[in-house]
Amino acid sequence: MVAVAEVSLIKVDRYYEYSEKDLVIEAYKQLETKVKERIKPDVVIVSSGYIESIGKSNLSAVKFSNSLGFKGVKAFRVENGDNGGAAIYTAYSLLKSGLASSVLLIGIDKFSDLNSKQVNDYTAANLLYDYEYHLGLTVHSHAAILAKLYMKKYNVPYEYFANWAIKMHEYAVENPNAYLRFKADLKTIVSSQLIAEPLRLFDIAARADGASIVLLTEDSLAKKYTDTPVTLDGIAGATSDYSYDLTLPAIRLAMKELNYKIDDKTVIELHDSYSIIAALELEELGLGERGKSLEQLDSFQVNYSGGLKARGYVGGATALYQLSEVAMQLRGDFKGKRAVGEKGIVVSTDDLVNSSFIISLTR
Amino acid sequence: MKISPPKNWRLKKELYTITLGKCQECGNVFYPYQPICPSCGSSRVERIVSKGHGKLLAYTISYQARDGFEKVMPMPIGLIELDEGVKILAPLTDAENIKEGDEVEAVLRRITADSNNGLIQYGIKFRVIENAKPNR
Repeated sequence: MVAVAEVSLIKVDRYYEYSEKDLVIEAYKQLETKVKERIKPDVVIVSSGYIESIGKSNLSAVKFSNSLGFKGVKAFRVENGDNGGAAIYTAYSLLKSGLASSVLLIGIDKFSDLNSKQVNDYTAANLLYDYEYHLGLTVHSHAAILAKLYMKKYNVPYEYFANWAIKMHEYAVENPNAYLRFKADLKTIVSSQLIAEPLRLFDIAARADGASIVLLTEDSLAKKYTDTPVTLDGIAGATSDYSYDLTLPAIRLAMKELNYKIDDKTVIELHDSYSIIAALELEELGLGERGKSLEQLDSFQVNYSGGLKARGYVGGATALYQLSEVAMQLRGDFKGKRAVGEKGIVVSTDDLVNSSFIISLTR
Repeated sequence: MKISPPKNWRLKKELYTITLGKCQECGNVFYPYQPICPSCGSSRVERIVSKGHGKLLAYTISYQARDGFEKVMPMPIGLIELDEGVKILAPLTDAENIKEGDEVEAVLRRITADSNNGLIQYGIKFRVIENAKPNR
């Protein structure tokens, strides 16, 4: 068995005065205050989508390990675009195989060093085909096309998508670590800046800075660090190509592999890179009828953090925020809106869901 | 925006023509061409050049630029189903009165320029065929 021994995260925000290393150190200092013993990981894994491109830093895992006093440890970064679930999968595999007894997962990304058009250039490198990057396409434009197809297929107006932003901002108000802690109403959303028609500012994840660190260990080792470990029961993943039929094969295949049943007592954090993607993920997970899921948001415990929309979006670190938040919900010390139940899942994907990792946890 | 001449040269069949792959085993037609079928994994793939004609399934107007594309904003972008059955996302041009269902054709257009050395990037965009006859 694999345990989530301890977690830490810093408030998602724009940290103009701090570097990636500063943010990681801040998250680590917080982690250290929570554990009973000094952390000595066998392996350090960094989950970051953009530390190489935006941060202009390679060998980040080595640099962080040295900074945190882990000289001699095995350290590397797992790059999987915005889908940090790949780093969690790697750590889980090392622990399950017995190659490691403890793995320190460091999630870090920092968007605020560049402006939107510069960040768009780097995120466009996630598009699946070279020609798309060269033609000037963006991830936003893909999502906008999906929203158009959805509106046509299910005959819903643009206002339908506002349900997601309204709910996420409502939750974020309660989360002290969220980036956008204010309520959003329909009028504000429908009159916000157009990004790629029909998508407006409030349909898009709020890119910002953050760091989250999770200590995963063998089950037997977890008690050394904490009295309240959470069990990481399983993790499954899948890939897919673009799909314009409004289904998400990467999630469908991963859920089939995980063989998991979600109910109204499941704590869920999913990757809402766009309001349309939130709708498609909910529907693929069976959390709402196709074409109506964003009108049924009170039926399940989804994204009480405020999600990427309002807790904020931290690239490859997002999955570690999600993992930390679900673990804290299950332990009972999440500081925002509290969920009930003893099990939870993290749905980690890239922004267009061509890659997924779904992680199940129990108290 | 930095343009790499070797990379552009290497991608010329992808950027300057619509070169498709057609799998001889499963029949899958895909873009861009590669010598392995992404659907079934077969290496029996024929290279075919699309006629560049298709139908506009959906479109968006993108208002948030990427570095190097400021001068072509706002950018209309369409989801096009080629006659060969492949769906691709590409910029639209000469797009004053576009609507879903329009017939479109591929044209070679200037995409962007390297602000450092003046190199120009060309690529395929799609334009609406005016007065197209239904079911052409």
